[in-house]
Amino acid sequence: MRFGLMLAALSMVSAAAAQYTPPRTRDGTPDLQGIWETRNAAAFDVSEIADGHEIPYLPEALEREQKGNRVDPMAHCAMPGVPRINYLPFPFQIIQRPGLVIVLYEYLHNQRLIQTTPREHLEGIDLWMGDSVGHWEGDTLVVDVADLGDKTWLDSARHTHSDALHVIERYTRTGPDAIAYEAMLEDPKMYSKPWKISMTLHRNTQPGFELREQECTEGDNGRAIQPQYRPAPKGDPLEFIRTYPKSGGSK
Amino acid sequence: MKANMLICASLLAVSGFGQSKGYVPPRTSDGLPDLEGMWQPRANGAAYSILPHPGGFFLGAESKEGVVQGGVLPYQPWAAAQVKELTQHMEFDPTGHCHYEGIPHAMYFGFQIVETPKYIAVMHENMHAWRIIYMDGSPHPRDYSAWMGDSRGYWEGSTLVVDVADNNDKSVFDMAGHFHSDVLHVLERFIPVDANTMRYEATLDDPKVFTRPWKMGFPLKRAPKDYQFLESGCFEDERDQEHLVKGKAALPADHYKQ
Repeated sequence: MRFGLMLAALSMVSAAAAQYTPPRTRDGTPDLQGIWETRNAAAFDVSEIADGHEIPYLPEALEREQKGNRVDPMAHCAMPGVPRINYLPFPFQIIQRPGLVIVLYEYLHNQRLIQTTPREHLEGIDLWMGDSVGHWEGDTLVVDVADLGDKTWLDSARHTHSDALHVIERYTRTGPDAIAYEAMLEDPKMYSKPWKISMTLHRNTQPGFELREQECTEGDNGRAIQPQYRPAPKGDPLEFIRTYPKSGGSK
Repeated sequence: MKANMLICASLLAVSGFGQSKGYVPPRTSDGLPDLEGMWQPRANGAAYSILPHPGGFFLGAESKEGVVQGGVLPYQPWAAAQVKELTQHMEFDPTGHCHYEGIPHAMYFGFQIVETPKYIAVMHENMHAWRIIYMDGSPHPRDYSAWMGDSRGYWEGSTLVVDVADNNDKSVFDMAGHFHSDVLHVLERFIPVDANTMRYEATLDDPKVFTRPWKMGFPLKRAPKDYQFLESGCFEDERDQEHLVKGKAALPADHYKQ
């Protein structure tokens, strides 16, 4: 029953995406530019936006996780990794140039330079934010992320991954102020099958809104320095609860 | 700000600084002077000291010229005494603690520029810092203070001029203790020289610390084709901490142990 509902919900998203034709940049790619933010609580528990609200752990991986490090690397100002950076409660800005998609994140001044020319992933290196290679599939930006290492977590609830994590992100404009974001997480050392997260990225439409500096380093004794107080974004702050399937709930 | 601009203008007129020698760069698809791409300064030792300095472990390679025009920093007497003290305390260098370098310090390392009509984005490789230079004539935000300051710019012919305000008093100019206050105002100029060269110049005005505005400058070269920046995490289990943090700045030895 729940599965059926999920399928129905997903096909509705696809239908909406199919109906909307995004504006183009000067070089003809779908225009994803602007300042975007999420309105969900996946930063605390990523299973909220996971298909079926379940993470298909291998039993031995779950045991390893439960015996593992209990201190969130982000509490020590480490870079959050992908996909976690996308659902932190901080806005980010997408900039497009020919052959390049740039994502500037307010959180910890992270940046991703995503080339949209196919190439092999870098070998023999682990990066906190991974190695991102993009390409366009119709109106969708697909970003293949590897080389993520095993140090980052997926959320504050200590959902983890191994150094074999491979993330495929999909960004599809579904309206003037919305991007449907999906990511497949594949990690054969950790999960019994690939699993998917989905959420909406909302455009920040406040006039004159700009990203500000956000800093967090060892010199700050692990305390994040937050940007100035901002009012909550317009829209439905409880969206994430209302989109739960009726028969669902937390795992 | 207007006064600063005037000071800068008169300095420029005297020195011949800040002038492009007739090279006109190609235009982007938006019709802007095309400074896009990856740029790197020639090794100039500025990260160690912006003044002329000998070689050595902490001071890196020798630099006979430094990057400061005239080779002298016009410190007020109290500030000259303080910089002497700071030079002896490498552990106070905020970049050793993985903080932002600030402007102009971040410009001693490689960076990438992309241009749009409303803003220019600069992605610095070091410290994974980035900044957006707003080109829409908007003012600096009020009551804002940041490691990287706040950048607003405009085009002067083919030269990109960037006005950086809202700096905090924690970032420094180099590892040798050269410092500024929170009233530091930086006017940067990115001057195209030829297809693969720009000249970077900055006029620095900080009446709390210096007796007059002063300037620095150095050439920037385009990075080779297919060059790609990698992640500069800086934060790597803080293995440097015990080497850098001594005396006042020290954290308890077990601070980060779990």
